[in-house]
Amino acid sequence: MTLDDYDPKQIEKLCRALYTAFGVGCEQSTRVPWPSGVGDPADARKLIEHVDPVRAYADDKILYLVHKRLKDRELPSGTAPTHGYALYGKDRALVTTHGVKNLEEGLKRVTRNSMHQLGHLWDLYHCLDPRCSMYPPWTPSFASGDAIFCSFCRDKSEQKIRLAKS
Amino acid sequence: MAESAPQLSLAVGDRVVYPNQGVCRVFNVDSREVAGQTLTFVSMRREEDGAVVMVPTTKVSSIGLRKLATHDQVAKIFAFLRSDSDKADLDWKQRARTNIDRMTQGGILGLAEVVKGLQVLSELRPLPTKERELYDNARHLLVSEIAASLSISECDAEDAIDLVLSPPGRERPKRTAEEFKQVSASDDEGIELGADLLSLGGDLELPSDEEAETEEAAETAQADGEEEEAAGKGRRAKAGAEAKKASTDGRPVARHSKKRKGAAEGSKPKAEAKPRSAKLAAAHQDSKAKRKAGGARLAKPSARKKK
Repeated sequence: MTLDDYDPKQIEKLCRALYTAFGVGCEQSTRVPWPSGVGDPADARKLIEHVDPVRAYADDKILYLVHKRLKDRELPSGTAPTHGYALYGKDRALVTTHGVKNLEEGLKRVTRNSMHQLGHLWDLYHCLDPRCSMYPPWTPSFASGDAIFCSFCRDKSEQKIRLAKS
Repeated sequence: MAESAPQLSLAVGDRVVYPNQGVCRVFNVDSREVAGQTLTFVSMRREEDGAVVMVPTTKVSSIGLRKLATHDQVAKIFAFLRSDSDKADLDWKQRARTNIDRMTQGGILGLAEVVKGLQVLSELRPLPTKERELYDNARHLLVSEIAASLSISECDAEDAIDLVLSPPGRERPKRTAEEFKQVSASDDEGIELGADLLSLGGDLELPSDEEAETEEAAETAQADGEEEEAAGKGRRAKAGAEAKKASTDGRPVARHSKKRKGAAEGSKPKAEAKPRSAKLAAAHQDSKAKRKAGGARLAKPSARKKK
């Protein structure tokens, strides 16, 4: 799902990359309007709560792609840079492409970020391996890494997907 | 144990943490008859997936059931995670035992200790599969408890933990084994002793019996004249070689020496040596045959025939 205008070809590439990563079908559904009252930069928590729901199957996961910047979150231990947001183990996640001028060039980074947030939907937690997409996204090496999972995260996500399918 | 531990009073609606399971909410406390006994059960539902657990009230303390962490406790957890105090134990067996105890009895601080300890260890070397799973479980339980305690989403709870463990703009450091040595100093001593025992150059004091045996063995070997090299080595070697003899040749030599003694006393070893002599004789005859075929040196066999 997108909340802004994107090139359909680029979205198609992103879907292909996500299909490769998770092994389940991935397609663009539609574009939904921005909810009101989320501010600019957008509050990720409010945005994911108030965005229009999409009709989907129980085990479907929905990724919202936005171009706006997301506001840093104030957490008990400090301020967290926000590149995305996910409802752990549920069905909705959010990713921003802010800072990526050309999706063609920044596709790897957006894919990695999308894999990270979708991973949270499949009950994956942050990983210790800097090469893995589940590594904390605010680290300097995250943006330059490949869109891959480490063997542990891949196995766990596959297991969760199998469980959801059965 | 259940009697000595302070009783936890639970009421319907309380949120509790079941060790290794996660945050649960009590939905019923009632009495039931089980195997002729009337027991009071606390029924709780795991918030994550709705699984129901029933625990007799007498077992509540012994299984480690506890109330959800308070805000102050969570603040202490963040302070602990922020500190650079924890170094993982390098002895895997000790580490595994400690981590299991922390997971079951350690409370929220135990979970934080497991997460931090294994994260620090992963900065030295990649975690083995079992510990990676343990790390994931501990992280999952810690995230869900902090989220429940502070009434925030799991995403926020995990990011709050990782803001402390991996601050923004900084990569995780690479650790060296030297950093861990201070913690496991006692274990290292044990390892050094083991290395001394295993090393060939160590000053190992053997019991007098074994020393005597090895010396005897060397002497008998010399007397037989068959293992001059081994005995010579034993003589020439200083402290290190003595240790080597003791550790490697000690037992075999002792047995060997008995055999040699037996060879000197009785005839058994001679009987055992027969096959060897037979082989030698056969080889000798072969060489004779070859020589005959070659037509060289025919005088000696004839001389033997005469004898």
